Amino acid sequence: MLNSQQSDALRELGNIGAAHAATTLSTMLMTNIEMEVPEINVVDIGKIHEHVSDEQAALVIFQIHGEVSGGGYVLLHVPKNSVVRLTNAMLGMTELDRELTEMDQSALLEIGNIMVSAFLDATATLLSIVMLPSPPSLIIDMPHAAFESILAAQDYAQINQVVIFRTELHSDQYKISSNLFLLPNKPMLDEIIGMLENLMK
Amino acid sequence: MVGIGEYHIGRSPMSSIGLGSCIGLVIHDPVKDIGGLAHIMLPDSQGRTDRPAKYADTAVEFLIRGICRQGSKSDGLVSKIVGGASMFQSFSGNLNIGDRNIEAVKLQLKKFNIRIVAEDTGGVQGRTIVYYPEEKGKISVRTADGNIRFI
Repeated sequence: MLNSQQSDALRELGNIGAAHAATTLSTMLMTNIEMEVPEINVVDIGKIHEHVSDEQAALVIFQIHGEVSGGGYVLLHVPKNSVVRLTNAMLGMTELDRELTEMDQSALLEIGNIMVSAFLDATATLLSIVMLPSPPSLIIDMPHAAFESILAAQDYAQINQVVIFRTELHSDQYKISSNLFLLPNKPMLDEIIGMLENLMK
Repeated sequence: MVGIGEYHIGRSPMSSIGLGSCIGLVIHDPVKDIGGLAHIMLPDSQGRTDRPAKYADTAVEFLIRGICRQGSKSDGLVSKIVGGASMFQSFSGNLNIGDRNIEAVKLQLKKFNIRIVAEDTGGVQGRTIVYYPEEKGKISVRTADGNIRFI
């Protein structure tokens, strides 16, 4: 589905996007954010469980709109034990052993919005197109269940492989870890690859 | 571990994690304590035959045949269905896919005269299941909040 050159190009694109997202998170929390080298995996649908777990997490999910054919999703994934630490850092609170409130949910949506907008702006600028996130949807549930629901809602009848882009962002100061996922569908992936190959000519 | 669009038939415990809009279909032989689990993703195969466990309209017959090849009789089989949640309300696309999956699986089970003895379907939450053929076909259903129930 992807040769190594295409995979490298996509990784570089994601790297630039994720770096911008990391910068916005760093600004919001006023702390250093470390970013791992992005992974690009071509995954058979039957093996998605090897990449995405059923451990409870907060997921802020955006559909990608704009000047790209097809579509795709960007997801901010925050594992359960990082959620409270993240919203506490954002809201200036300290209590760790507490239930999540509407304040946490708004904070998560806001953090997701800002990070994902930065991610899409940076990648779209590189490709000289416009990509816009839909209004976000927040769920606190199993990531694997969310992924398969997203895939089933697209036209995956004839597709048995997906490209999963993932990069990890974490803050040592607040012990927060999070992941940005990009799930392009096939037409969108093909178009982005085409644009990247033109850029490299 | 039975991934999306996959299946397994046997006597040992088998599991599917994080069922969202997908269906975990169990067909169980209560006489021989053997059965199968299919992780169904979509309602309609539209004639595709490469992954029969991926689609509701092909998975049911496929699983029945597989179990009968192990020596079971089809008229003694029973079924349990789990999943078919609607996790997202606000996106465009086929978002009632969970409901359509449930409906399509039930239609096929009816067609093959397989009784549904238990179900845990619909709602908005993801589910992880483990099916124990040798413990009377018991299934544990776990949600992300840690809640576990047995059907």
